[in-house]
Amino acid sequence: MIIAALPPVVKQTGTPRAVAPLVPMGANAGAPHDFEMQYNIVKSALEQLEILDSPGKVVPLPFEYNAKV
Amino acid sequence: MSSLTVIDGLQSEIFVPVTPPPVWTPVTKPLSEMKVAIATAAGVHHKKDKRFNLSGDFTFRRVTDDMPSDELMVSHGGYDNSDVNKDINCMFPIDPLHQLAKDGVIGSVSDIHIGFMGGGGNQEKFKNETGPEIARILKEHEVDAVILTAG
Repeated sequence: MIIAALPPVVKQTGTPRAVAPLVPMGANAGAPHDFEMQYNIVKSALEQLEILDSPGKVVPLPFEYNAKV
Repeated sequence: MSSLTVIDGLQSEIFVPVTPPPVWTPVTKPLSEMKVAIATAAGVHHKKDKRFNLSGDFTFRRVTDDMPSDELMVSHGGYDNSDVNKDINCMFPIDPLHQLAKDGVIGSVSDIHIGFMGGGGNQEKFKNETGPEIARILKEHEVDAVILTAG
């Protein structure tokens, strides 16, 4: 199960199972030191293992982190 | 003035690789019984381990589960490392994974995880050697599911 920051890239590589929170590349699993967000992203990603029944779909996850750059 | 800005059949001059068919492994047990590992393309490894060659590196590092998360680091030249340098869990969510095991959401955490450096390098080596070897190690450790951070 891939946690992706760049869904089009993940789609193009033929990834069978992927989720996509709204995060920048480099913080795929959530904001730094935001344990709750990281926990819920990983939990939601793993829960998709029991839900997805065919390959190729990138499931959007309702978590958002905007890095200040 | 012409409004025609779309031309049928125009193709990009940039080489775009063909999407390979997905490899679909059926899930055979509930999440609460699964042993879960992390494999990341984010260039994660122990601070004492050999750094990746930032110009392209198809090797990988074993990250054992007894390595504290604050002893891990990233060497990767292909993305902004500032978040992951503050907190390794941004790309290697090992602390949340341990909590998920404690909470009974997953069965257990694997005693081994894998770090490698994506974003370039020898793709033939990645496809034919690195990838299969990582899969072999994880299967040897009876891992049921893997969280990957990449892309």
